[in-house]
Amino acid sequence: MEQKEIKALVHSVLAETRAFDGYVIVRAQSRREWSMRISNGRFERVSTGEDSGFGVQAFTKNGASGFATSDVLAEGVGQKLVEKAIQLARRNEAIGTKLNRTIWEAALVQAEEANPAQKAFGEVPLVELEEKVMTLHSRLRDAFPEGVWQTSYNQVEEVWCIGRTDGSMVSFVIPRAVVMHQGTVRDQGKAQSTLIHRSGMDASVLFEELADHRLERKALDRAEFAKAVCGAPQLPSGHYPLIIDYGLAKGLAHEAFGHAVESDHMNESVLGEAGKLRKGLRVARPGVNIIDGPLVGDWAYQPYSANGLVRQTVTIVRDGVLEAGLGDIFSAEEAGMPVTGAGRAESYGHIPLPRMSNIRLLVDRMLPLTPLDRLMDEVKAVRETLLQHDELIEGEKNLLLLGYRGGQVNPKTGDFVFQCDGIIDVADPHLPIYQPSIFSGKILSALEAIRGGLGEGCYDAIGTCGKGGQSVASSGGSHRYLLMDADQQVSLGGEHA
Amino acid sequence: MKLVKLLEDLLYQAQHAPKKEELRLSDWRILVNESEAVSLGIKDNSAGGVYTPPSYLQGESGEVFLVWADGKCSQASVQLGSHDDGAYWQQELEQWRQASYEDPDAAHIPSPEPLPLVVVEDKAVQAIIAGEDQILFDQVRRWLADKPSSAKMQGSIQAAWGYRHVRTSTGLSVTYPHSQFVSWYSFDSLISGGFAKRRLSRPEEQAKLWEQTLSLYEAMQVVAPPVGPQTQVILAPAMTEDMLGQFILPNFSGDRVMEGQGAFPKEKFLENKLVFHPDFSLLIDPLQALELGSYLVTAEGVPAERTVLVRDGKLQTPFLRVKDSVRWGAKPTAIPQGMAGLYLQHKAEISWVEALQDVEDGVLILSVLGLHTQEAVSGSYSLSAPHSLRIMKGQIVGKTDVKLTGNFFADMAAPTTKTAKSELDIYPYLMITTGVQTL
Repeated sequence: MEQKEIKALVHSVLAETRAFDGYVIVRAQSRREWSMRISNGRFERVSTGEDSGFGVQAFTKNGASGFATSDVLAEGVGQKLVEKAIQLARRNEAIGTKLNRTIWEAALVQAEEANPAQKAFGEVPLVELEEKVMTLHSRLRDAFPEGVWQTSYNQVEEVWCIGRTDGSMVSFVIPRAVVMHQGTVRDQGKAQSTLIHRSGMDASVLFEELADHRLERKALDRAEFAKAVCGAPQLPSGHYPLIIDYGLAKGLAHEAFGHAVESDHMNESVLGEAGKLRKGLRVARPGVNIIDGPLVGDWAYQPYSANGLVRQTVTIVRDGVLEAGLGDIFSAEEAGMPVTGAGRAESYGHIPLPRMSNIRLLVDRMLPLTPLDRLMDEVKAVRETLLQHDELIEGEKNLLLLGYRGGQVNPKTGDFVFQCDGIIDVADPHLPIYQPSIFSGKILSALEAIRGGLGEGCYDAIGTCGKGGQSVASSGGSHRYLLMDADQQVSLGGEHA
Repeated sequence: MKLVKLLEDLLYQAQHAPKKEELRLSDWRILVNESEAVSLGIKDNSAGGVYTPPSYLQGESGEVFLVWADGKCSQASVQLGSHDDGAYWQQELEQWRQASYEDPDAAHIPSPEPLPLVVVEDKAVQAIIAGEDQILFDQVRRWLADKPSSAKMQGSIQAAWGYRHVRTSTGLSVTYPHSQFVSWYSFDSLISGGFAKRRLSRPEEQAKLWEQTLSLYEAMQVVAPPVGPQTQVILAPAMTEDMLGQFILPNFSGDRVMEGQGAFPKEKFLENKLVFHPDFSLLIDPLQALELGSYLVTAEGVPAERTVLVRDGKLQTPFLRVKDSVRWGAKPTAIPQGMAGLYLQHKAEISWVEALQDVEDGVLILSVLGLHTQEAVSGSYSLSAPHSLRIMKGQIVGKTDVKLTGNFFADMAAPTTKTAKSELDIYPYLMITTGVQTL
């Protein structure tokens, strides 16, 4: 469905609510997806799909809500869903639910954003995309035949329209595309896998990769590194000075700080007190900043919230001090923060929650680093830069953690864990490689331990945020590398000390 | 018109009287799910708040797999949406043709076989969907009334019911109703209890689960002595499930094994290599009445049957979808539904009550952070488990924070590893000797 059709659908559903004395939000979405996967030189899957539907969130005049959703767009379904949502809202009020009337205070917004994609969905025929992906895959297999390779390409277009009782109506398009290489290598009887990706808005990402082979070089480097990791020793567990790459830094910023400042989490967040954001709290050294906001062309781009409000860019931490949170219309006030349009949902069938978009962690104290083509050349450059600036501590390991494999945080206790692909000791001129082990600790201690950045900002680390059981695109980054002091509350796992 | 009927007509016509010769199908299969669900949640001690309102969900969608006359394949997800006109679907057919690819192993639609009798529907769940949903509101109200006064409670309850339709060009035409009932709650986001089956939970199950969750929550309020290097590690049933899901299940997926991306190469399956302790067996059983992983027929039209993946510690087979089975040279097997349908058995399993009494120095792991980040192929783990429960002299004595380091394949092969049966869960407590230290 195109933007106009979706708008017409939302208008027609809103028309069914005229007699209702409460408030209604209608969210409609049409999603198209093409995806393919090649494994060891053969197509394993090429699939196409389309999913359209809408959800109705109704509020009684006192603020009790009910929700109804359907992917069936037949005549009469709009009326049925409106009735169902209103009926559920009324029953909810009868059981004494916590009332919330903040939606009545939402600003009126009327906007229609053009699709920012450079290549429209479908402009490059599927057959051509298949050929391009196969070319990329074949080159990689030829260059590293001892690896087992899978290459995937995924292209998505989401058309959203959100309408509300107050006359607000926003519609926008979110295009996304990603090409990924996943490799499994074996050495000394052990196996390691590696996953790398290149993302963008549309099929341009394939054309760019075919022109510069940036992802391919990265895949080859990561496969070599994974092979070295297979036979690498484990580090003794302990507290070390660390250098983390921007993928891990994104993980840290997203999992550890972003979630802790979302307005619906303030009752269970280490960055909340009595349900309010602890604004003014020093959480890091001066010069450390954390910012969240959508970037055009980015994996997690979304210009409006799923409640139809403008998505704002927020400086969460400024100069080491907690300044703001990510607030949606429903809980921002209660959490002691302004509404920033942070509500995002996986689809029309989900209730929006306050979430991040692109989160980046930046420090004022940045050491210059020129990005290099090959991984180990860059690691050497990291070591030389640190030596030049007296940043390597004599007699101590200085561990560079490479690759972000995901992580998890308990926002209530502030405990976090992250996993990397492998570790290199840059204090040792031989740059020995170690097995990956968990990077864990307390989030506030980790933030406090950040002492500088290496290289310019890289914000294209992508992922999927699983908050509330939904899957929503997320992204972010940092300087190419972040420097962290050893801290007793931040440790690397590994063997027993 | 119903989506399944619409697709059946479309694909039948494309097989027997296509509008264009290049759109001729030689085979096809259809899976359509029609579902309705109602749910209600609790957030921060409040039922039905703005983030967890009572909800109604309706859906009718599925997938098609096509084999064209030239042997190429296509697959697509499909939805009724607003499309009940022939022109739209003809256009879709052309797009599916565009997306076709060579995959000779996949171009095989099984012939129909007799289906087993498996109970997958609870009429009581259907009644909830039909409007008798007060039971959900009452349950949530009871939880909130009975919870520990100091605890911050989160939770949710959902009932779902619908039809599953499977059609193939080889003559399979199955439609059956199925249901699902899922509920969970947590106190302070630290201790949780849950239920997930194809039937409603019984009052006695609810009471036992509540009592168990409450007693663990109470134990969590006391700080216990730290663990030592000899402390026995016990994975709670939910943790056993999570570890199996992270390290075992992916390595038994037929496609991964054949692509060399699993922990065990194909040869090890063929020679029935001993990989677990001989007391362990692992199987997929979709025939259990009213379990979440049970079904009558797979999405590919393969009748449900029991498949043993590991017998007496020895590899038997990975789970094989139709395409994998052609490549493997065997019949397709049962398929797990996520983790549902997978069962771990141990010959010397005793009850948890009995096992607990014998634990002199142990730690019960209820959850860990970052399990999904661990390397499934190597089996190695390095995990932090804040908020675990210390066991001393057969008693749970309080909370402790630990870090675990080890290898799950080694755990499953160790003679020291034992299991204890949980009354409430499908998976057992797994008692292992592994690296443990204070966090």
